[in-house]
Amino acid sequence: MARDPRHDILFEPIQIGPKTMKNRFYQIPHCNGFGSEKPMSQAYFRAMKAEGGYAAVCTEYCSIHPESDDTHRVSARLWDDDDIKNLGFMCDMLHEHGALAAAELWYGGPHAPCMETRCVPRAPSQIPSDFEHLTYPKEMDKDDIRMVQGFYVEAAKRAREAGFDIVYVYGSHSYLPQQFLTPYYNRRTDEYGGSFENRARFWRETIEQVRDAVGDDCAIAVRMSTDMFMGEAGTQLERDCLPFVEMCDEIVDVWDINVSGISEWGEDATPSRFYESGRMLPWQKAVKSVAKKPVLGVGRFTNPDLMVEAIESGSLDIIATCRPSISDPWLPRKIDEGRLDDIRECIGCNICISRWEIGGPPLICTQNATAGEEYRRGWHPEKFEEAENADNDVLVVGAGPAGMECAMVLGKRGMRRVHLVEAKDDMGGIMRWIPQLPGLGEWARVVNYRKIQIDKLKNVEFIPSTELDAAGVKEYGAEIVVVATGGYWATDGLNGCTHDTIPGADSSLPWQLTPEQIMDEGKEVPGERVVILDNDGYYMGVSLAEKLASEGKKVTLMTHLGHIAPYMHFTLEAPNQHRILHRLGVEIVTYHMPTKFEEGRVLASHVYDEHGHEHEFETDAVVLVTQRRSNEALYRELKDTVGLDALTSEGISGFYRIGDCEAPRLTADAIFSGHRLAREIDTDNPEVPLPFKRERRVVEREALAV
Amino acid sequence: MKIVVCVKQVGALGDEVEFTDDERDVDPDYLDYALNEWDSYATEEALKLRDAAGDGEVVAVTVGEEDAEDAMRRALAMGADRGVRIWSDELVGADPITVARALADVVRSESPDLVLSGVQSSDAVQAATGTALAELLGLPRVAVVTKLELGNGTATVHRELEGGLIDVVEVDTPAVLTIQTGINEPRYATLRAIKQAEQKEIELREPGDLGTPASRVRRMFVPPKGEGAEMLDGDASAVAQRIKELVDERMKS
Repeated sequence: MARDPRHDILFEPIQIGPKTMKNRFYQIPHCNGFGSEKPMSQAYFRAMKAEGGYAAVCTEYCSIHPESDDTHRVSARLWDDDDIKNLGFMCDMLHEHGALAAAELWYGGPHAPCMETRCVPRAPSQIPSDFEHLTYPKEMDKDDIRMVQGFYVEAAKRAREAGFDIVYVYGSHSYLPQQFLTPYYNRRTDEYGGSFENRARFWRETIEQVRDAVGDDCAIAVRMSTDMFMGEAGTQLERDCLPFVEMCDEIVDVWDINVSGISEWGEDATPSRFYESGRMLPWQKAVKSVAKKPVLGVGRFTNPDLMVEAIESGSLDIIATCRPSISDPWLPRKIDEGRLDDIRECIGCNICISRWEIGGPPLICTQNATAGEEYRRGWHPEKFEEAENADNDVLVVGAGPAGMECAMVLGKRGMRRVHLVEAKDDMGGIMRWIPQLPGLGEWARVVNYRKIQIDKLKNVEFIPSTELDAAGVKEYGAEIVVVATGGYWATDGLNGCTHDTIPGADSSLPWQLTPEQIMDEGKEVPGERVVILDNDGYYMGVSLAEKLASEGKKVTLMTHLGHIAPYMHFTLEAPNQHRILHRLGVEIVTYHMPTKFEEGRVLASHVYDEHGHEHEFETDAVVLVTQRRSNEALYRELKDTVGLDALTSEGISGFYRIGDCEAPRLTADAIFSGHRLAREIDTDNPEVPLPFKRERRVVEREALAV
Repeated sequence: MKIVVCVKQVGALGDEVEFTDDERDVDPDYLDYALNEWDSYATEEALKLRDAAGDGEVVAVTVGEEDAEDAMRRALAMGADRGVRIWSDELVGADPITVARALADVVRSESPDLVLSGVQSSDAVQAATGTALAELLGLPRVAVVTKLELGNGTATVHRELEGGLIDVVEVDTPAVLTIQTGINEPRYATLRAIKQAEQKEIELREPGDLGTPASRVRRMFVPPKGEGAEMLDGDASAVAQRIKELVDERMKS
């Protein structure tokens, strides 16, 4: 297929300082959990995007000095010669694919807790971080300012030596240069605080010094937040940012424009729950209207038409992507080849970001099970080896996320025939109804992408409306059987708090409901008042609270946890979700666990109340978001009643289960489990994952012998 | 109860299409092949009748080259008992009447109690083969059948008319019925059935006298895009006046 001529503009080269990008696709700085300490994973992860057509690919935030140590979170680092070697390998791999390499030089100030280095960060003023609690910086005097500017210069030189083509002086997300620009962080009264010129001075001087040091060889990028949404205290577009762009346009080669501070950076990395693609275009356009230098920016762009519009409307020169490049590292290439229906579109769930926020683990992606696995498992998102047992027929029972992924990858691995058999009349499993929850429409991309791929695979057949029992599976005629029958929400109040059921809990009663009953089965929520019990802590409880409150119910959201939906803090969904629930008048009851459900009321006590005093909550209905359970009846019957010997005698040599049927989990992990099994279907024991390459130092015992 | 089902392997177009060098057909490289959707309903209906009768045979008959056996195998995997494939080079690019002549010989030799086919094929969409076959066999024919009940030497048949009307007719059997989608829920073949179908017999037969083709494809092409569409503005009488002028102009030229 050929590229649609309407998208040609995306493939025009563009000059940034001394460097040329071969097209308009740029991977914005984003974390992956690899930093400088896992250099092979880092290099292979970034190189996949270069292979996929990105013209330039950036590191995550890259610390310039041990004073900027974000441990427990993982950043890249350019502290010493070994870091040059480690990140240099990433540069080499990017250059191999014709992409430029960019380094986002970063000094965190008070937001860097320095848990590994035990250094003390410096800041414009001595104000503790609004992001990293209990972290106090020391206020910089002029010697400190010179010294930190020197850190930038030395790090820029190391970046150049490593092979980077683009170096940043990074301010967005409330890091040091932008702290100086922002009254919220800068309370100084000397020539580095107060007026716009004074607040801009540190950043401008630092850009000048970095440019003097490496500007002939490297393009100088500045990443700036143009609105912090905090009124006078925050950086403001008209007052601060446009004047700054005009002041520094001469010494900057490319502007990277976004919005938000750090404590609510979900306003930048926008969850699809609240924002559509391109939500920052008005700010980006405002900067572009005053900048002579190219402007780049993100907007969770997955649709090439919107990318073209962003350029043609004069909002952006370069289309930067973060999450869409994780979901599909081959996004540019697929647009170039006119393969739009092969694009694995980001769903904006922010499960990738949650891993950085948790602090440490490699990123994961709901849509792309190979994200982060490029080096350690050797997985390529677009390339699949023919399985050694490809002459086998496979039966996958259940077309939820795990089953769809498994069938798709088995199809791509060339299995002779794959039958994906589903009891319902369509693919999707829980993803048939989860996208019906408020704001989650884009999550349906999980189903749509796989449906289109499966439809293209001639060796994969989808068989709807067919519920197989154990005999049906046994006699189906497959050599390999994969059970992917999913999970369900507990109907009896079983939960992870008390590890027990709740007296009176029974969703067969008309006034008690599980999420599936409401969303999938159309069970009516009776009355006006409803108590939602959320022991899960992710999106289900709050989503149902929003839905039911929007429909006019008086909702009480009760949890045994100290916060509602704590995992949504990691996905950056929490602040706006809190705003919505507050606006809808949802009553939040934390640290409470029901002791008994009776028709008309819930009795609950405070989890730290030693005496267990019960409080009464009058209600007409109760929604049980307590815990999920595996729907493993078919698997157990096949394994325990029919037995593996009987399956073997029917010619079934492989019998596995994946996804929620094994254990309920994040959709990203359910999809991963289906993908993993399919990738390893021809190993000695596909049930057990192959070991992956671990990047760590291994000691030479003999050499170290004492 | 012996039922013959006439089935066809159809080609489905992908996103792009090229024609063969002689411009008389779509280049097979641009086609995906499958059992004609209508024929899967006809096959299912035949299987249901056979199973209800308790004994008997469903014979799938197709006209096509060797690769057309893939579609035939699908009908066999659903449960048809055996297959007959009719082919000779004379059948390349055959029109529906010629195909019906080829089928008629075989159907006659099978002496079935009933003959079913799909209403039409999804690639050629002529809806002619079944009707032509009935004429050649001298059997009653009912087209676009949405419900079928067998009696003793007769069948009560619902046929679909325009505007959602249903005509209920009774015909003597044997008869040729062309089956509409939606009449039943075609069964899926299990992997075991697909494997077993690979072992089932497909007999190859030469056609008898095919006669003179009723039509032949002269050229296949993508219609050129029209130009000069004129949007007519104004009130009804102004638009009507303009239409009259246009009609008069065209009638003259």
